[in-house]
Amino acid sequence: MKRILPALALAAAVAAGCGSPTQADRVVYGLTLAPSGIDPHVNASSELGIPLTSVYDTLVYQDPQTGEFVPGLADRWEISTDGQVYTFTLRRGVTFHDGTAFDAEAVVFNLDRVTSPELASQKARFMLGPYEGAVAIDEYTVEVRLSEPFAPLLNSLSQVYLGMASPAAVERWGDQYQLHQVGSGPFTFDEYTPGDRLLLRRNPDYAWGPSVYEHGKAQVSEIEFRFFTDPATRSPALETGEADIMGEIPPQDGARLEADPDFRTEPVAIPGSALVFFANTTRPTLDDAKVRQALIYGTDRASIISAIFRDTSPVAFGPLAAATFGYDPAVEEAYPYDPARAGALLEAAGWRDDDHDGTRERGAERLVLDVFLMGWGHMPEVGQLLAAQWSDLGIEVNTRVVSYPEALALAKDGEHHLIPFTLFGSDPDILRTFFHSQAGFNWSKVDDDQLDRWLVMAARSSDRAERAELYGQVQRRVMELALVIPIRDYVNLNGISTRVSGLRYDAQGWFPWLIDVTLTP
Amino acid sequence: MAGYVGRRLIGAVFVLWLAATLVFVAMQMAPGDPAQALLAASGATPAEIAERRAQLGLDDPPLLQYGRYLLQLVRGDLGHSWLHGRPVSQMILEQLPPTVVLSITAMVVGTSLGLVVGVMAAARRGTWWDTAATALAAVSLATPTYWSGLLAILVFSLYLRWLPATGEGSLRHLVRPTLVLGFALSGSIARMVRARVSEVISEPFVTVARAQGLPSRRVLLVHILRPALAPTVTIIALQLGFLLGGAVVTETVFARRGLGRLALEAVAWRDLPVVQGIVVVSALAYVFVNLGADLVHAWLDPRVRERLS
Repeated sequence: MKRILPALALAAAVAAGCGSPTQADRVVYGLTLAPSGIDPHVNASSELGIPLTSVYDTLVYQDPQTGEFVPGLADRWEISTDGQVYTFTLRRGVTFHDGTAFDAEAVVFNLDRVTSPELASQKARFMLGPYEGAVAIDEYTVEVRLSEPFAPLLNSLSQVYLGMASPAAVERWGDQYQLHQVGSGPFTFDEYTPGDRLLLRRNPDYAWGPSVYEHGKAQVSEIEFRFFTDPATRSPALETGEADIMGEIPPQDGARLEADPDFRTEPVAIPGSALVFFANTTRPTLDDAKVRQALIYGTDRASIISAIFRDTSPVAFGPLAAATFGYDPAVEEAYPYDPARAGALLEAAGWRDDDHDGTRERGAERLVLDVFLMGWGHMPEVGQLLAAQWSDLGIEVNTRVVSYPEALALAKDGEHHLIPFTLFGSDPDILRTFFHSQAGFNWSKVDDDQLDRWLVMAARSSDRAERAELYGQVQRRVMELALVIPIRDYVNLNGISTRVSGLRYDAQGWFPWLIDVTLTP
Repeated sequence: MAGYVGRRLIGAVFVLWLAATLVFVAMQMAPGDPAQALLAASGATPAEIAERRAQLGLDDPPLLQYGRYLLQLVRGDLGHSWLHGRPVSQMILEQLPPTVVLSITAMVVGTSLGLVVGVMAAARRGTWWDTAATALAAVSLATPTYWSGLLAILVFSLYLRWLPATGEGSLRHLVRPTLVLGFALSGSIARMVRARVSEVISEPFVTVARAQGLPSRRVLLVHILRPALAPTVTIIALQLGFLLGGAVVTETVFARRGLGRLALEAVAWRDLPVVQGIVVVSALAYVFVNLGADLVHAWLDPRVRERLS
């Protein structure tokens, strides 16, 4: 033992001598997952978009402030009166990082790739909706054809999943392409060691950035991405200088970082569906709207937000996060926290605790709810607090933590009373995924003619005002039927070194525009 | 000896088949549909999900899927990941080196520490040395690496600033995961060594050696340690085989690459080809490490050698 200790001390001393602080012109960006495959045309994770939004350009961009679409690789576009043909006039003089010229054939190549069955796309293909095909009309004009109108198309085309890749590189690398990606964006894809690091380097030739970028070229020469899957390690990695920017800081660490003059936190509200618990309207007990309403009245969301999210997340009031286009603030008045009213509604539905055992009964039946929780997004903690709050109302809650595939299977078969979920996306068409009677995520098991009609109309309309009106109706209807118990809007709490400035996020809330990031030494 | 090795290799094929079959059955029984998990959140319609399921061959009868999978394995082909779309063998090869390096360094540290502590406890039984060593072993066994890992980050990186908190690439990055994992391993080795050494110490031949007036250091190193260590080698090999399957928790806490993290992700997404590939490769490592250990055991212990030939 005596001999080991000096050896250890020596090793530590040697180690201390050769420190490698973050390089002056390199930003280290901490990702929270090692993305499961990072070809944006193939894979679906949000994490892949964080680096790759700076590698690929898209045909259009969405201004996060106004929600309007602005030119990107397409200078302008026209939508046919029937909403089924989009004609894009492309920008000239754009080259991919490997020197390949960008033209109409390249766009057709990319869209063909995304939609080919062999590629087995997990996301991009479905973002194109009722896509029929793309045709190059001339060198810089391309037509995208749909089999029916699909309003979210421009939104989809503004995301990295439909970014434009160099056809030459795709053909050259085949199934190795995701290790050698080539776009036309402000950074080049330099080096990727799966699970360890991804290095982007500034593209010195970049001269075709969209108006939403503040700079013409990238301000730092390198950005290194590393993966911090364990939430507890994220803030220490910032504090030791191993990362300059870190996503998804645990709320309890956020306050500590905020108190440190070397760091700041930036919560970014993510548009999409709020974290809501879907109430299975076909399962006995919750088939009664009064019980569902009682659950919403009986949920003290503010205390959940304060206990678990340290007030970094906004309270959710409806199915849509407030940061989403088409959000209707009318839902905010619908269900104030009112446990007395919740109790009265349960009584009215026939649930009473006559034997005073703490749980209500109706005849021989006890008021017990099965709740399935997934292990991410703080769902287990939220489930725990809900169980405690509802037990005060005389409701017994059985919670079980399940994996994502198992949750999908249980919800599909309607085994749940309640199951939470949250999904990201800046187009409110996301509501169709949850509340259309035929939808894959129809976990409320709702079958409502009005909802179906409004959701389909809104997906086909290209009139923003009309869409906003329709989605407002949908949100109010969802809450009137008490299909969900809203909890919180998703917030990505970023921790950032004060060396870094100019960090902004796109309309999806997840994807940074790294071109504008600057470092002060 | 050659015959023995040959018999063991045939046994190895059987073990591999068993591992491949067990993981196949387990994944068949796991709840959830891989195609649905892959596509549901992307707005794919139920029809599109069904199409993907058929494309992945998941609609075929399980026996057909099993046959196809075994045939592929025999050809040495681990298939393509459903999630990543890349060859599984390539993905495993990428993650294998850091796993192997960490396994070996952690094993060296764990074995050395375990040996020193175990021998010390046995040689001075009943003294406070023994109590302290036994307590240390208990702490090692009872401390989960996700906790000791975080503690080590706090102490060495945040307060002392000696070592980088996370990542890989240099020797310095390897120090802390090695210490954390090595310490966790040392407990069981120390206990095993202490038990064996205490046993051998009271054997008649040790008394004879002492009575002959041999120096006590020589008695300890030659007469006691050699027979005491032989079975310990088997325990060490079991642990090493286990480590080669990937140290999930350590990899996660220290943000390192490795098979463990790959396996975790693959199980979560029901990425069958990757799970199967990792299990088969780990089984292979296990089999060979244990074969090696048995040969070392035979070399250390003449009685075992005799039985083999």
